Amino acid sequence: MKKKLLAQIIFIIFVLVLWQVLFELKIWPKLLFPSIPMIGKALVKAFADRSLGQMILHSLGLLVEGLIIGVVLAFLLSSLSSINEQTAAVYNMIVCMFDLIPGIALIPVAILWLGIGDAAIIFMVVHSVIWPMSRSIIDGFKAVPRIYTEVGRNMGLKGMGLVFGVYLPASFERLFSGIKVGWARAWRGLISAEMVFGGGSALGIGYFITDRRTNLDIAGIFATIIVIVLIGLLVEYGLFRTVEKNTIVKWGMTH
Amino acid sequence: MGDDTLNTEPVLHIANLHKEYYNPTTLVLSDLSFDLYHEDFLCILGPSGCGKSTLIRCIAGFEKYQGVIQIKGKDVEGPGTDRIMVFQDFNQLFPWKTVLNNLTYPLKLNGMTDKNERREKAEEYLDKVNLLEYKDYYPHQLSGGMKQRVAIARAMALGSEIVLMDEPFAALDAMSRNQMQDELIRIKEKEKMTVLFITHNIQEAISCGNRIMVMGKNGSIIENMKNPIEKPVTPASAGYGELWKHLNQLLRDNK
Ligand SMILES: Nc1ncnc2c1ncn2[C@@H]1O[C@H](COP(=O)(O)OP(=O)(O)OP(=O)(O)O)[C@@H](O)[C@H]1O
Ligand SMILES: [Mg+2]
Repeated sequence: MKKKLLAQIIFIIFVLVLWQVLFELKIWPKLLFPSIPMIGKALVKAFADRSLGQMILHSLGLLVEGLIIGVVLAFLLSSLSSINEQTAAVYNMIVCMFDLIPGIALIPVAILWLGIGDAAIIFMVVHSVIWPMSRSIIDGFKAVPRIYTEVGRNMGLKGMGLVFGVYLPASFERLFSGIKVGWARAWRGLISAEMVFGGGSALGIGYFITDRRTNLDIAGIFATIIVIVLIGLLVEYGLFRTVEKNTIVKWGMTH
Repeated sequence: MGDDTLNTEPVLHIANLHKEYYNPTTLVLSDLSFDLYHEDFLCILGPSGCGKSTLIRCIAGFEKYQGVIQIKGKDVEGPGTDRIMVFQDFNQLFPWKTVLNNLTYPLKLNGMTDKNERREKAEEYLDKVNLLEYKDYYPHQLSGGMKQRVAIARAMALGSEIVLMDEPFAALDAMSRNQMQDELIRIKEKEKMTVLFITHNIQEAISCGNRIMVMGKNGSIIENMKNPIEKPVTPASAGYGELWKHLNQLLRDNK
């Protein structure tokens, strides 16, 4: 464990040093290839003077909102569609079809329908989440071993009680992987959308990176990319791993 | 329990039970009738595929059936806590709950609102199967035999009219199996439980049951007798050899 972490840290230091050496060799112009200290300064500046922090919070707020809407809708639609085999087949087809549409391809639709702004971003996030989440719910519930549902029914659970008491925890691994896939897509989709919308009322991290480009601030662009990576790592290791450690790992339900 | 109808009215009454599966159409049980009285420990033997599990699943309320199945005069129309099932499968505990919570949860579902009362009752029954010190473990941290003991404790804590056991010890090694048999007999006597117990093992049927039933093909009852051997049963007990031979012959003739 410690050794792995050490290796990872050494690797990062190595990349930073290599980057700085390449900079010192002056192979590319400064305007395209900034030094490490330049990126560092841009990073500080982004937060101190250009309110990147606020924009990140704004983006994450939309993301969480869209995630919740997407997950709830996925639950509603998946359960509604499970009333008979025909509706289930239709919904399965819908999920397959819409899952194939990259979020970015829906941006024109979102803009025309909802205008440039938060609503369009949330639309994108919901699209990114709802289909993988639906798939996880449908497959996850189907894969719940019969013995758990029978034990639950034997104890007196039925209807929604059975869903919350047995189906949800028993399929937690799949449901959670649906959320993870949804988050990853939504995060990318959100940044793309904000880059396309640029400015106006859509002031998020994606806008910030476009704005740096128009200002020819290459250090600022790299600084933003680093922030995007850090947020991803924080969610993956800080949030997802912690949730997993306290659920499926603790329960011995990982495969 | 403990009223004047004791031993006069059967706990379980089965008359003309008829069960077939569709797809493929298989007639499994036809015209099966027997009664089970308070504090009976009925062991059912029978060749593989003769319909033992089907019978117990009908009683548990997991299968549709034709004919009469009544618990204390009440028709069985689905699963209920008056009959609790212990499966052969080690995975019948909820992996997302600790051992203790696997016991308290069904108590909570069945109207025991006081948290301390639930905990005390669960601990009392875990103690009966000698697993109190494992109460904070998760099921995946237990051995197969320990899991079965927890499942038995869970069934007992609910105080059902009848405990249904479908080869609960079949997947255990011989030593743990004997230990579990002794434990079950001791607890059953102390708790005055009514048990219906399916097994493939003649020794198990003779050791545990006060009644022994042998099923033949198509779910016919070819033997339904009182177990004449005094407890504790050992292979040296008077009459053991004859009974074993008799049951073995019946099983051979009806393969
Ligand atoms: N869901 C089902 N659909 C169709 N047929 C079934 C189904 N379940 C069981 N059967 C059939 O019913 C018959 C009895 O099966 P059952 O499981 O009750 O036997 P069993 O006596 O418990 O056998 P074993 O001792 O091997 O556990 C078998 O022929 C089996 O193929
Ligand atoms: Mg069986």
